[in-house]
Amino acid sequence: MLTDRKRLGVLVLLGGVFTLLLWYLAPWAVPHRLFGGEGILLNPFGHHLPQGTLPQGYRDLWLYPVFYLALAWLGLTLLLPWTKAGPKGLYLAGALGLGLFLLTYLLFQGSVAEANRLAERPLRRYSLGLGSYATLAYSLYLLLLARTFSPGGLAFLVRRRGLVVPLFSLLLASLLGGVMVAVLKESPGEAGSLREALLLKLDLITYTYQLLYSPLVNPSGFLQSLLLATPLVFTGLSVALGFRGGLFNIGAPGQLILGAIAAMLVGVYLPGPRWLVLPLAILAAALAGGLWGALPGWLKARFGAHEVINTIMLNYIAASLFLFLISANEYKFFGQTLYLPFKYPGYEARSYEIRPEARIPHWTELVAPGGELSFALPLALLLGLLGYVLVRKSLGHRVLSALLLGVAGYLLGGLLPGPQVAFGPDLTSVRLNGAFLLALLALLFFHFYVFRTVGGYELRALGLAPKAAEYGGVLAGRKMVLVMFLAGALAGLAATHYVLGGGIDEYRLKQSLPYSVGFDGIAVALMGQNTPLGVGLAAWLFGILLTGGLQVNLQLGISRELVSVLQALIVLFIAAGGFLPRYFTDPLRAAEVELREEAKRKEVEA
Amino acid sequence: MNLDAAFLTALLLSTLRQTTPLLFTALGGMFSERSGVVNIALEGIILFGALTAAVVVERLEAALGPGPHPWLPWVGVLAAMAVGGLVALVHGVVSIRYRADQIISGTAINLLAAGAPSLVLTYFYGNATSSKEVQNRLPLLGPEGFALSPLVYLAFLLVPLAWWVLFKTPFGLRLRAVGEHPEAADTLGVNVYRMRYIGVVVSGVLAGLAGAYLAIGFLNQFVRGMSAGMGFIALAAMIFGKWHPVGILFSTLLFGFASALAIQLQGTEILPAVLVQAFPYVVTVLVLAGFIGKSRPPASVGKPYEK
Repeated sequence: MLTDRKRLGVLVLLGGVFTLLLWYLAPWAVPHRLFGGEGILLNPFGHHLPQGTLPQGYRDLWLYPVFYLALAWLGLTLLLPWTKAGPKGLYLAGALGLGLFLLTYLLFQGSVAEANRLAERPLRRYSLGLGSYATLAYSLYLLLLARTFSPGGLAFLVRRRGLVVPLFSLLLASLLGGVMVAVLKESPGEAGSLREALLLKLDLITYTYQLLYSPLVNPSGFLQSLLLATPLVFTGLSVALGFRGGLFNIGAPGQLILGAIAAMLVGVYLPGPRWLVLPLAILAAALAGGLWGALPGWLKARFGAHEVINTIMLNYIAASLFLFLISANEYKFFGQTLYLPFKYPGYEARSYEIRPEARIPHWTELVAPGGELSFALPLALLLGLLGYVLVRKSLGHRVLSALLLGVAGYLLGGLLPGPQVAFGPDLTSVRLNGAFLLALLALLFFHFYVFRTVGGYELRALGLAPKAAEYGGVLAGRKMVLVMFLAGALAGLAATHYVLGGGIDEYRLKQSLPYSVGFDGIAVALMGQNTPLGVGLAAWLFGILLTGGLQVNLQLGISRELVSVLQALIVLFIAAGGFLPRYFTDPLRAAEVELREEAKRKEVEA
Repeated sequence: MNLDAAFLTALLLSTLRQTTPLLFTALGGMFSERSGVVNIALEGIILFGALTAAVVVERLEAALGPGPHPWLPWVGVLAAMAVGGLVALVHGVVSIRYRADQIISGTAINLLAAGAPSLVLTYFYGNATSSKEVQNRLPLLGPEGFALSPLVYLAFLLVPLAWWVLFKTPFGLRLRAVGEHPEAADTLGVNVYRMRYIGVVVSGVLAGLAGAYLAIGFLNQFVRGMSAGMGFIALAAMIFGKWHPVGILFSTLLFGFASALAIQLQGTEILPAVLVQAFPYVVTVLVLAGFIGKSRPPASVGKPYEK
């Protein structure tokens, strides 16, 4: 058994060697990228220049001092674990590394700006490369090691396993995804040597991930990621609610379809004013999804039929029903002709348009109705939050005061005059709509119901220990049906985004309804560890990846399904606890780690 | 309606053809569950098997040039079995070695099977939905008009074989013991983990075979989502068949008949095709609701074993 110090030394050394390898093999910076992904790759050991020279006006001199600094830093770091400084010194080394990365970033941006100042054709699509990111990653790795190897460090990590396991799984999935990209996609550009071939491959992988995460830094991509996250929040919550109650809801796609059908029926055929029809259409979606979800719940409670297979079968049945309604208006039943009124005339399978009264407004109408920025929403949110935080009474009081203050804020904000704004066409074309707010409300609902009510307590008890919950007085059968109803209702609400909010491209029920986002909800729920905050963030992450996936497809010709493969891998790795030691998945062993670390700390102090 | 002989013959043959992949998969699922591992990944493994068979045969054809190669489809079948076994091994490692929730692990593989083929298809064929058609399909065996794929015969031959392995060999005894009471089996010196790995891998190999049958026996190419829930239906059939080869034979025949009926009714004026397609799924729900209460799964199924 190695001592802690030796283990730390070996880990630092391994990371260091890996970093050095990446410095040698990966591009440090890409000042310009041609169409099709081929880049001008800068590396201190030799550039890859597809046109023979650096772009006009660009100077690469900043690279070499940075490289020698980095080498010195690495040498220093490798010695540290063997000196008295130990883990504490690594904190410093990590901080220095972060500084080094910042310096690299600034120098690179400076050099690009310099070149662009006078150039006729400015450099576009420039970014740092994997070599520079290796510096960043190694710094973070050092900080993590320093924390883990200082007293109580492991317990610190284990306590945050709800974060560690998903993030580690994301990292593993990304690595594997990178390998897949490297195998399946030829790197653009001619390679002269083996090193250059690796340089190009590593750049290809880096560029793929830069594109995948690009919605983080561009406004329309950002909005688009929120748009794609909206249905994922609903389906993620739907699956998470099932998990909390000990049920696995794979039926979100079917529940979504039923929700979509109900929303369409109300939205198209129910006349009336907006204040009545819109809420009714939303409710109908929730109700239909809920009933479709309650069915397998009931089958399980009554007959013991496993919900997994039943929900899947109901998905297929829902899909048939959906096609039946909107793919034709004339069917033969035992020789008799049956006429349906739902399909809009024409070649395409789609319904009639949702009446304007039942449409969920577009985000520009919410943020700036009539081109004037409105303070209604932010003020309502702010006052509502204040009401919840400041009133220190029972839950009912807090919710009530939050609601009342929220409404007051909405009215007040609506009356306040706002400045004129105009959004560019790239922003207004994003079909983000009020369903996003509904998704936020659903997150709040989940939090309240699961963690702040008796019903939610019973639900969690049923999920953690069904037998004990039953002895404790939970009516398991009824609860099961209720859980599946609520889960189905959440999945059904996802449909409002597509049908009532025009989330695809029309205010209709269409054959292109992407109901498979119901399956993506599984990944979202697992990634988010079945907590509302986690589900929200995970949905957003997948929204970003899905948006970026489009860019990957456009610019590199890699199938968008790369993103769903990544999602599937994340689910697989989270299921396996990120392949981390057992104390990251087993609460009892986690407690053992805490006790052991505590004892160790006392020993050191004594 | 005129139920003439031609209709009935077509229905019978169609039933046999529809039953085959279900039978392979359900028998595989039986081996896995008897060893104590739920393998809901079978649906995905069918797809991986089908993809492998279609791509391997098509690529070999492209390499070998024209001309009939009677042995070629069998290479595809073997490759599909190998890949099926490998994918199942992943499920095995995650759920046996890492004690993951078996249903979540299986679902992850199903999600993978929904996405990964597109990447492979894009790489080879430039489109994300289907492979090129293969020339060398599996041959047909049997009298004129009743010729069936050899895999159909194999599936039905597997039933007595599976029965014999499961109930008449020491291996079968150990497999069942591991699924019923792993602690007891362990005490007697049976390697629980190894038996479970074997059970899972066998299920993957058989599901891969089902996939190969779909891709180069039933059709002649891989199409996205071509398994259409067969893996899940097979699991339902396995439950309905009470984890017993003979029971599984009859329950898969029932489901095969439902699918065949759905196919034969399409294009007739009796029921709309889009509704008829839901027929096997409805049967599954009804069967699970009506009969599962009376059958008993292996006692330790779904529970990770810890030494």
